[in-house]
Amino acid sequence: MLVTLLLVLLGGGLLCLALDRFRPEAARLVSLLTLVVAALILASLAPLGPASAGPGNAWLAYVQMPWIPRFGISIELGLDGLSFLLLVLTLALGFIAVSASWTEISFRPGLFQANLLWTLAGVVGVFLALDLFLFFVFWEIMLVPMYLLIAVWGHEARAHAAYKFFIFTQVSGLLMLLAILVLAWTARTTGQALSFSYFDLLGQAPTGQLGMAIMLGFFIAFAVKLPAFGVHTWLPDAHTQAPTAGSVLLAGILLKTGAYGLIRFVLPLFPESSLAFAPIALGLGVAGILYGAVLAFAQDDFKRLVAYSSVSHMGFVLLGLYAFNALAQRGAVVQLVAHGISTAALFMMAGALQQRLHTRDMRKMGGLWQQAPRMGACALFFAMASLGLPGLGNFVAEFMVLAGLFAEHPITAALAALGLVTAAIYSLSLIQRAFQGPDNDQAKIDDFGPRELTTMAVMAAALLWLGLYPQPVLDLARIAPPLSLSGLSP
Amino acid sequence: MSSEAALWPFIVYFLAVLALVATMLGLSWLLGQRRANQATNLPFESGVLSVGTPQIHFAVEFYLIAIFFVIFDLETVFIFAWAVAFFELGWEGFLAVGLFIFILTIALIYEWRSGALDWGQKTRTGWKPER
Amino acid sequence: MNSGMWQALSPLLALSGGTVVLMLQIAFHRNPRWSVAITQLSLLLGAGLLLWLWPGSDYQSLLLRVDGYALLLNLLFILAAAVTCWLSPAYIALRSEQSGEFFLLLLLATIGAMILAQAVHVASLLLGLELLGVALYALIAYPDRSLLPLEAAVKYLVLSGAASATLLFGFALAYAGTGQLAFTGLSESLALAGSGAYTLVMAASVMIICGLAFKLSLVPFHMWTPDVYQGAPSPVTGFLATVSKGAVFAVFLRAFLETGAYQFPIILNSLAAIAVASMLVGNLLALRQDNVKRLLAYSSIAHMGYLLIVLLVCSDPANHDLAVEAALFYLVAYTVTTLAAFAVLTWPGYEQYQGPEHTELKHLSGLLWHHPLAGLLMLVAMLSLAGIPLTAGFVGKFYLFSAAVTGPHWLLLGSLVVGSGIGIYYYLRVVYYLLRRDDNHALLPNAGWHESCLAVVLLAAVLGLGIAPQSLIGWIQSIL
Repeated sequence: MLVTLLLVLLGGGLLCLALDRFRPEAARLVSLLTLVVAALILASLAPLGPASAGPGNAWLAYVQMPWIPRFGISIELGLDGLSFLLLVLTLALGFIAVSASWTEISFRPGLFQANLLWTLAGVVGVFLALDLFLFFVFWEIMLVPMYLLIAVWGHEARAHAAYKFFIFTQVSGLLMLLAILVLAWTARTTGQALSFSYFDLLGQAPTGQLGMAIMLGFFIAFAVKLPAFGVHTWLPDAHTQAPTAGSVLLAGILLKTGAYGLIRFVLPLFPESSLAFAPIALGLGVAGILYGAVLAFAQDDFKRLVAYSSVSHMGFVLLGLYAFNALAQRGAVVQLVAHGISTAALFMMAGALQQRLHTRDMRKMGGLWQQAPRMGACALFFAMASLGLPGLGNFVAEFMVLAGLFAEHPITAALAALGLVTAAIYSLSLIQRAFQGPDNDQAKIDDFGPRELTTMAVMAAALLWLGLYPQPVLDLARIAPPLSLSGLSP
Repeated sequence: MSSEAALWPFIVYFLAVLALVATMLGLSWLLGQRRANQATNLPFESGVLSVGTPQIHFAVEFYLIAIFFVIFDLETVFIFAWAVAFFELGWEGFLAVGLFIFILTIALIYEWRSGALDWGQKTRTGWKPER
Repeated sequence: MNSGMWQALSPLLALSGGTVVLMLQIAFHRNPRWSVAITQLSLLLGAGLLLWLWPGSDYQSLLLRVDGYALLLNLLFILAAAVTCWLSPAYIALRSEQSGEFFLLLLLATIGAMILAQAVHVASLLLGLELLGVALYALIAYPDRSLLPLEAAVKYLVLSGAASATLLFGFALAYAGTGQLAFTGLSESLALAGSGAYTLVMAASVMIICGLAFKLSLVPFHMWTPDVYQGAPSPVTGFLATVSKGAVFAVFLRAFLETGAYQFPIILNSLAAIAVASMLVGNLLALRQDNVKRLLAYSSIAHMGYLLIVLLVCSDPANHDLAVEAALFYLVAYTVTTLAAFAVLTWPGYEQYQGPEHTELKHLSGLLWHHPLAGLLMLVAMLSLAGIPLTAGFVGKFYLFSAAVTGPHWLLLGSLVVGSGIGIYYYLRVVYYLLRRDDNHALLPNAGWHESCLAVVLLAAVLGLGIAPQSLIGWIQSIL
């Protein structure tokens, strides 16, 4: 089933590519259909009922087949609650990305949809892979279609942004490859074959300096993707220059792969080194929250503002994971989902504005509410979500992270809480500058049509649900005990 | 080690050559007179003034002949080596040299047919301009 | 003279017979089509005989050794020569009055490369090296209507001659020190010679390493590479970059192992220094290149630096097998990828008569949109050179990584990471040009079936080796 899921996405991409020559308009329908099929496959694997939530049944699905026996590499895929949650997010944002690109893309739409699906396939692979080599392959390969999305369909400075994005992630990826290899070689008992399987490597990490070095190799790769403070500079460029669907995927899912890597690999594989490293990680998290927020406030570009707000929000994830507190860690998972949805919505808003106004500069906007009240209302809703309004998903996540963190590191938690205040400042300033104030002599713009309104409504509903009844998500994040989350608690 | 001992004459010879050259150049530099006349930089041709430009185009055939000489003269080196050991090598050696000469013959035929032996205007056999 | 010998030498004899037939054909009936056909047939015959010998052959004479290592590399060289031969006719026909001799030289160079892969003696090493080298000088200078190839050939001739002389002098010193010329003989006398001949042997090693490093264009002997790459006709550059370098590396590795040179720490250290310098300098200099061939030249310097890692790893007997395996896989991957890149660069030459080739980056602008197949091939080749997963280059690089980790050789690993990181930038630059959406007029002729076939084959090879490398790995393991 898991392999089928991957193959469906890959095959759908190929079909789109083939259609590009003859019926480019049909490609987006094919893309949509592919996603529906993939969603159905995923739904068939859904953990239904409380029975499956028991600690004994951690893996909803699992496959293993040999790939490169020379190095003990196999195609090993596994689905647990956390993966399932993130896969749901991935496919949901896939629909949103297709919707966002419905009319935006005029140049080779078939190829665009193909790259979109391939990126999704890569991300799905990342969330499923349990063989570290396979994980690395997916980790790197998902960047290629994403690079193409930015470099071909991006905005004015796309070349620079695409280079930066690719080089940052690739170089950090090389470090991770090195770390994976060193880990596999040190874990190998002499005379035995090499193995890259997650289960074989669990508990095998060397202690001391070498263990710390290997852990850092992984951490840097994931921190770049997250992004953590210091290695985040690719993010504003890439998000700003990508086409709307690309931004949605980048912010919504690709950033989550970094967090997923930390949860799945760094914390369980290197418990001791992670614990020793926690103060630095927490520092990076707090720095990210505050720095991202301050820079977000200073932006004039709509998309750049949202991009920096991502840096700020993802800081909470880092805090949650390295608080070594069950509550905070589960909060971090909720934050992944909530941030994925709210940011995707904001990027879609930016894309819609750019399509209508041909600018992302907020100095040229203003007073848009009169002309497009539905757009304004949507923007307001998601800005509120982003600033952490109680009742919406982001509030639940950030509250859990802060509450958990406060039990362990009160001062850090207090500093991080400043992020909530700053989030309110930049979110409200976004609304104020773009939608309120005097009308800047804009030509008449169209309000949201039914397609966009439906997309927005679905995302809003999801955030509301997450804010009012987050228990299902929390359950899902919990049902992977033996291997992922429970291993984190000291 | 004996190999190093055996090398000593070689090294002494090498150093002697260096010393001799250095002495000759150094002495002429020390003892000789220096002038900067018009004639100083002229090439020394035993008192005869050189005429014309040194960049004369020789016909390429000269080089070809020289190369042929090298190729077909070198073959005698191999054949000579075979002749010295004629009886030890027996028929195998004979066959090997036969093959060697056969290949050389083909090379000769090739050169002949492609006009390498013609003096003057080249005529290439079998070649038609394309397009 | 027994049947085993004839069998083992049959692939070489097949190609040599091919050259004789080709000479006669050119002498009596000059026709490019026939020349190509004879060349391809003798290459096919050679490849067939190699496969027939597979994999049990282990013939050893004083000069040559035909074992699995040599067979695999010979097959690789023959295939690369076949690709070059497939690419060249249309290109050469426009740039030279007659193209028959081109294929003659190509066959000779291939024979030289094959001898190198089999050489176990200084004499056969030199024989192979010179056969390859002399044929290459002429191949580089082959287009008789422009100046750049001529300049490149003269440059290569003079510098390569100097390198060969250095190499020869090194061998002479080694002979003076040990009284041996066969690789294994050298190793025995090295063990016996003790400290007395140490100085001589070290001087010899330095000279031999210099000579071979020149042919591999390792830093600091890399100066010729960009000019020769740029000046040489593209199909020949592809051949030079793959077969010539692969053959020299093959003999380097064999000599290094069989002479026991790895026992001397000073040699290992100097090789490590050369490797690190090549990785860094090659990649850094490639950053500012606007000509794709020059860019590939500098990238090849870096790639040869990566390959040197193998030499340092295999000095430890425990990791010897993994290292040789890595070398073979990397050579195969690199050859396939580089041939793919040069195949794309050759195509513009099909329609353009004179002047420099159209291999500037700007000439590739928008290639993916105008000529999807050529653009895709170039894209995949660049990704493979950069070491992105699911391409042959990635598996090769993974092999190098795992070989170096066994040491662990941290310095080499560090340079490998830094070098690859820098490399990504300039490979991406090419990719970016391929993707540009300007209305550049199409510079390529529309690909006919001839080019399309080759492109599909190369594409399948690069991706196939990346996605399912196990079959080749199994093959390599079975012959070691």
